[in-house]
Amino acid sequence: MSLATRVDIMSEAIDVGSPDEIEEGTARVVEPEESGFDEPIAVFHAESGCFYALDDTCTHEEASLAEGWIEGETVECPLHSSSFSLRSGKVLCLPATQDARTHKVEVAGGRVMLYPGVDADEAVRAGE
Amino acid sequence: MNSVPEPPRRILVVGGGVAGFSAVNELRARGYEGALTVLSPEGLPYDRPPLSKGYLLGTEDADKIRLAPEAWYAERGVEVLPERAVALRPAEGGVELDGGRLLAADRVLLAVGGAPRSLRIPGGEAALTLRSRADSDALRQVLVPGARVAIVGAGLIGAEVASAAVGLGAEVTLIDPVELPLAPAVGEAIARRLHAMHGERGVRAVVSLPVEIAAGNANDGAAHLVRLADGSSVVADSVVAGIGIVPETGLAAAAGIAVDDGVIVDPSGATSNPAVFAAGDASRLRVADGTLLRRAEHWEAAVRSGQAAAAGLLGEPAPAFGAPWLWSDRHGVHVEAVGTLDPRQAPGSRTVLRAVGGVPQAAFLLAADGHLLGCAAVDLPLMVRAARRMIDRGLTPDPDALADPAVDPRKLAR
Repeated sequence: MSLATRVDIMSEAIDVGSPDEIEEGTARVVEPEESGFDEPIAVFHAESGCFYALDDTCTHEEASLAEGWIEGETVECPLHSSSFSLRSGKVLCLPATQDARTHKVEVAGGRVMLYPGVDADEAVRAGE
Repeated sequence: MNSVPEPPRRILVVGGGVAGFSAVNELRARGYEGALTVLSPEGLPYDRPPLSKGYLLGTEDADKIRLAPEAWYAERGVEVLPERAVALRPAEGGVELDGGRLLAADRVLLAVGGAPRSLRIPGGEAALTLRSRADSDALRQVLVPGARVAIVGAGLIGAEVASAAVGLGAEVTLIDPVELPLAPAVGEAIARRLHAMHGERGVRAVVSLPVEIAAGNANDGAAHLVRLADGSSVVADSVVAGIGIVPETGLAAAAGIAVDDGVIVDPSGATSNPAVFAAGDASRLRVADGTLLRRAEHWEAAVRSGQAAAAGLLGEPAPAFGAPWLWSDRHGVHVEAVGTLDPRQAPGSRTVLRAVGGVPQAAFLLAADGHLLGCAAVDLPLMVRAARRMIDRGLTPDPDALADPAVDPRKLAR
């Protein structure tokens, strides 16, 4: 991703629906056409009730993390079972060795708002 | 008297496969800060499963199949040397490299893998095999449109190569003496579905045993004639054998370390020499009661043994692992299995199928007391992940729910 792209889209949040439209333990993919971001983004509704977003494509091979197994605050890739922290994008298990890119998500005014290209809060990551 | 060994300060990993790589990853994750060197004759460690899948098909290149980029090693202070070890020198505290240089180490991890098992029949040396990236490159050269390719062995590698070969336009004959390959690994129903896909994709599957690879005759214009035990023969431009591996035990044996179809290790990867550990395809596990297990020539087993050895190298207890898992990609489907699907290993067990329109999507093996023992599935990854959790947690799922395609796998393991 180029820096220019990132700057352009930083301030804009996308409304991805009401919280109950994404069932707990599932995820919704926001395609580039909708987000203006250059990669599909998976918005996860964790079992804790929190929402998180990562690049949807596994950092190992072509697979959609939104179709993976979501448990606690992790997602396990449906193809080769790499797992990632939903909070920080940190890779937790081989075969992937690269962290997943995070995107900021907020629930505001009863809507799930995604900030494509904006890293999840650094403060949240530091608490990991 | 038990003496606590000194913590290692210089660990040398011999071998750049996924077992060695996993050990390196785990050593740093566990906080090991000493020197860490990997001897990897082929350069930066790469992943082997794609060699019979995407890499062979040309959809993934050498960069893509690297286990990690160069920067990953630099960030972790891991040195990768493209060198080969020719001898362990425990008494001298190191390993001798090709060329005679001695590399010092106070602990060595042998993760040297193995060599493809060769066809021990007259002319068997003509068969190509698949283990390294170079092998896959060589195979790719012969898998061209119209090439007649005979593949011996219809297990995971043979079936994947057959799939890639027809995808590349070759005419493929797949030879195996077993009527239903993979049945012990994925259960009969899924094995039957998978094996039938060969025929549907134009692969000719033959149940027989090769007895000789003879020279082809001028009429056929083919290099080889594979003679089979049933009296028939297969004309082939190329022959490929995918019949397992022979573990590399030479370095260990020469250093006086106990070997028996693999370097014998305990659950923390320790060999009979306290300074030497082993992991991956070259190792063979002896469990607490003294039983030597069969070697597991699977990716995940290599990863786990590398992680276990990392713990062992640091004098920490071996981690507990759940049910074993494997996957295969062929003919456009993704197959996975977790636990065991072999009813012979569990007297009184029974198999439950989840099928759609008569086609089995998943198979489950339930113990006599209802515990889930294993699951295999085709293009149903969430079911396998659910099953893995059910097995590891000792759950007794409702067989009707397992069999019902309308039941979401995510609900089963919660």
